[in-house]
Amino acid sequence: MMSDTSLTRDEVIRCSRYLPSFPKLITEILTTLDDHESNLRVLVRCVTLEPMISARILAFANTAAMRGRMGSDVCNVNTAISLIGVNRVRHIVLMSCMDAFMSSAAQASVPVSFWQHSVAVGVSSVELAMYVTMPVITSAALVAGLLHDIGQLWLYRFKAEDMRICQHQAVEHKRGADDVERDYHGVDHCTIGAWLAENWGLPRDVVAAIAGHHQPEESSDITLVSLVHVAEVLSNALDLGNCPENRVTTLCRSACDKLGLVWNDEIRPLFGRIEARSRHTNQFFMIGNH
Amino acid sequence: MVLGSSVNITQDGYLSLCFPAGLMLTDESLNQLHAHQAEFIDIEQTDTRRDEQIAVDMALAAHRVLQIFAGADLNDPTMASLFNQALCYRCA
Repeated sequence: MMSDTSLTRDEVIRCSRYLPSFPKLITEILTTLDDHESNLRVLVRCVTLEPMISARILAFANTAAMRGRMGSDVCNVNTAISLIGVNRVRHIVLMSCMDAFMSSAAQASVPVSFWQHSVAVGVSSVELAMYVTMPVITSAALVAGLLHDIGQLWLYRFKAEDMRICQHQAVEHKRGADDVERDYHGVDHCTIGAWLAENWGLPRDVVAAIAGHHQPEESSDITLVSLVHVAEVLSNALDLGNCPENRVTTLCRSACDKLGLVWNDEIRPLFGRIEARSRHTNQFFMIGNH
Repeated sequence: MVLGSSVNITQDGYLSLCFPAGLMLTDESLNQLHAHQAEFIDIEQTDTRRDEQIAVDMALAAHRVLQIFAGADLNDPTMASLFNQALCYRCA
């Protein structure tokens, strides 16, 4: 089975102009991570100018846990930031920007489980980044995890009928979705996603992680690729994202070795953290209520 | 110190506090946990379900894990280890 013509990078980028603009803030945050002061300036500007993000940060600071420390409600953004920490503020800003972008980019053809799965893989990537011994920037892990299937969103939006056929074929013949997509479009959602991410100016590691999350052995020198691959496998293995189609078919051994992961009894607390945080994040952002 | 004797284990950047069985978590002790940015509390409690219900619930959980891994090659040692851990986690 094959459509008349293979998808090209030009066509993907041309169509993507009908999507809402990708939030430049995400690129700005990721590209200034090495410069703490610049990064903080970007965050403060965003929190000051975006009422929705300010509200989310205040809401987070005002959870029962944070109230316990202060003894009264937190209603000042600066106090909230000092309470919950810059790293957590950065993650809330990134999640909020992605939430807004995905909500406006998605249409009726995109199932709610798509975003829930993306959040689960984003959360799983962050938890894995904190768990493994080699250094991985958690903000990059979060964005790569959230965006790993962005190529599917493009397909849902611009090739909805083809996407439906591919998914049906994948289930019926027990094949990987990416495998069927390559037969049908000449490229899979990983390549489409990487083209988009590159066009949006995202860092090289994030682009590579989106491109290689199903075949990490081809980018074995980049830790983030292995990390997002394992994060997606874990989110499916733990049945996260409220998705009946969750399946584990492949797990790259070299990716596990690269991350130093050993699947013994000591890994189970990590499962618990990933599951709890994934549920909490989906509730916090009220996924599916758009 | 409200929390009483505790065992502190720092691993992978996490500080785990193990409290003695029966410890009462007061507002003050919760505030201490909040001050350390505690995020998760695992509470061990007696399973009040009947044995038959436990068996049914475990069978359902195991069935779902088997369904998720139906297309996986469980002869591969890495995959088999992940499968076993997922099964244990769900059926614990």
